[in-house]
Amino acid sequence: MKGAFRDLLKAVVAIVAISATIGYASDAAFNHGEPWFMYRMAAVGLVVVLTFRWLARWPSSLPARMPRWALQVAGVACAVPVTTLILWSAATPLAEWPFWHKGERLMEFAFVTVVGLLVSPWIALTVLVRQKEAFAREQEMAFRLAQSELERREQDARLHLMQTQVAPHFLFNTLANVQALVDARSPKAPDLLRALTIYLRSAVPRLEGSQHRLGDELASVRAYLDLMQMRMPDRLLYAVDADPAAMDLPCPPLAIMTLVENAVRHGIDPCEAGGRIDVRCDLSATHALVQVADTGQGLANQPSSTGTGLSTLRERLKLAYGPGAALRLYDNDPHGFCAEIDIPIGRPAS
Amino acid sequence: MTTALIADDEPLLRDVIEHLLLQLWPELEIVARARNGREAVDLFEATQPDICFLDIRMPGLSGLEAAQIIGRRAHIVFVTAYDEYAVKAFDAGVLDYLVKPVSSARLAETVQRLKDRIASHAPAVNSEIMLTALMQKLKEAERPAYMRWLKVQIGTKLRMIAVEDIDYFRSDAKYTLVAWRNETGQPAEALVRTALKDLVLELDPVQFAQVHRSVAVNLAAVSHMIRGENETGTLHLKGRAETLPVSRAHVGLFRPAQKNDR
Repeated sequence: MKGAFRDLLKAVVAIVAISATIGYASDAAFNHGEPWFMYRMAAVGLVVVLTFRWLARWPSSLPARMPRWALQVAGVACAVPVTTLILWSAATPLAEWPFWHKGERLMEFAFVTVVGLLVSPWIALTVLVRQKEAFAREQEMAFRLAQSELERREQDARLHLMQTQVAPHFLFNTLANVQALVDARSPKAPDLLRALTIYLRSAVPRLEGSQHRLGDELASVRAYLDLMQMRMPDRLLYAVDADPAAMDLPCPPLAIMTLVENAVRHGIDPCEAGGRIDVRCDLSATHALVQVADTGQGLANQPSSTGTGLSTLRERLKLAYGPGAALRLYDNDPHGFCAEIDIPIGRPAS
Repeated sequence: MTTALIADDEPLLRDVIEHLLLQLWPELEIVARARNGREAVDLFEATQPDICFLDIRMPGLSGLEAAQIIGRRAHIVFVTAYDEYAVKAFDAGVLDYLVKPVSSARLAETVQRLKDRIASHAPAVNSEIMLTALMQKLKEAERPAYMRWLKVQIGTKLRMIAVEDIDYFRSDAKYTLVAWRNETGQPAEALVRTALKDLVLELDPVQFAQVHRSVAVNLAAVSHMIRGENETGTLHLKGRAETLPVSRAHVGLFRPAQKNDR
């Protein structure tokens, strides 16, 4: 409401200023001091301002080649002679019609039109430039805000990652298994401990941000799946099948791990019969496609999932590979869940 | 002779408890070992043990659900992975629980308590009310703040789309239309069976606003609003030709944005 009032005030000031300038100049030139002349001038100014504002919104869509500022300036330029013509015609008594037969009136008309034409498009342009500057400033502010928001989210994502990786749930459960094997003096204990070590080694320094590659990522995925297979020997089968040429691609740490962990936690774990997880990585000329598919619980039987990890992953992929990167999630035929990371290649990751 | 059942989906952890119990309570007979909740219930009915050790997180039927079926017919000891919420939920009640990895000392305490209860013929503490309260507490802990992904059927495929990619929801006679962007940024549409009013409850109000009885819009997708007659408005979206109605009650939502609206 306040903004609208200020706009109106500005418009009134503009009308008074325009009409006073032109009116004073012509009044001095013709020296007749009649008040109706000033009124007519104010009317011209009002029409000019209204035209300018109206064209800022109408028509709501313009052809691509027609900029709105040109329409506004042209509209203002047209409004001046048309309005003046109408006003001067209306003010002329019928006996003296048409007014341009009388030299003094014609001079008045010509003067107002010319001065109006000279002044108003310039004022319109000035207003437009100022509006544009204000808009640019606003945009810059919005851009900076978005930038800092993105940085903050990246920080959050890293923190979140760290928390999930050092998730006590997973670690303590695995350690409980190690303890069980050691207590039972099982020959499998060293294997489990070794897999846990590989997994932790790959999980911890990855947060340092040195270039992480798909090969590293798949190594930790294998270590993790090994661990899980030892923990649920009768319920989990897995295979990792990757194009060797893809091993050197940069890969944000834990990108694939997030998907594999999800497949175990939400796909295989809730399923009494268990299932299998297939990790594939295929390379085409323009894209790398990483697929994590499981034959577990699937989407349809899932209670509404939080998906926080997946949302974070999606953001991280976009940060690392730009807007071309995609994370697709859908159900797997005939049952289970499939997650796909689609990475455009040929463009270096940031 | 006292009998017990152990249910855990990880065989190694099942073995640990059995192994420790053997040392701490040699007279106890383990009569059943279950791999999931359903099996636990079946084996319980078949063997009628005095004590059940139930892992909380098991496939199919959870330990809590199995406990509800078993009721007070047996003393129940829950086994849970270390989890802040679970431990907090248990601490508040009188239910018996063990945290993995199970330590011998802790298990010894539990064994002592169980022996006392059985000797004095005290009834099992796991009443329906207590189990329901526990379930409620655990559920609250894992409830997501707002929806992040929406399940939709596209062609023959069920897939999940991120809510950030959704431009708006519009309720149709029976369904809700979801207008979203695919990976290439192209507009796409899908239908879901959930009613708009239920969807709105799960959406982040900072991101989505209901602007009409039948429309909820992603504020990031809005280009501008044009005021119409009678204090209503029409929303124009970025990169979409269709417009959305804004009802009188919601026009005010776009007032602060009016200055940018050129």
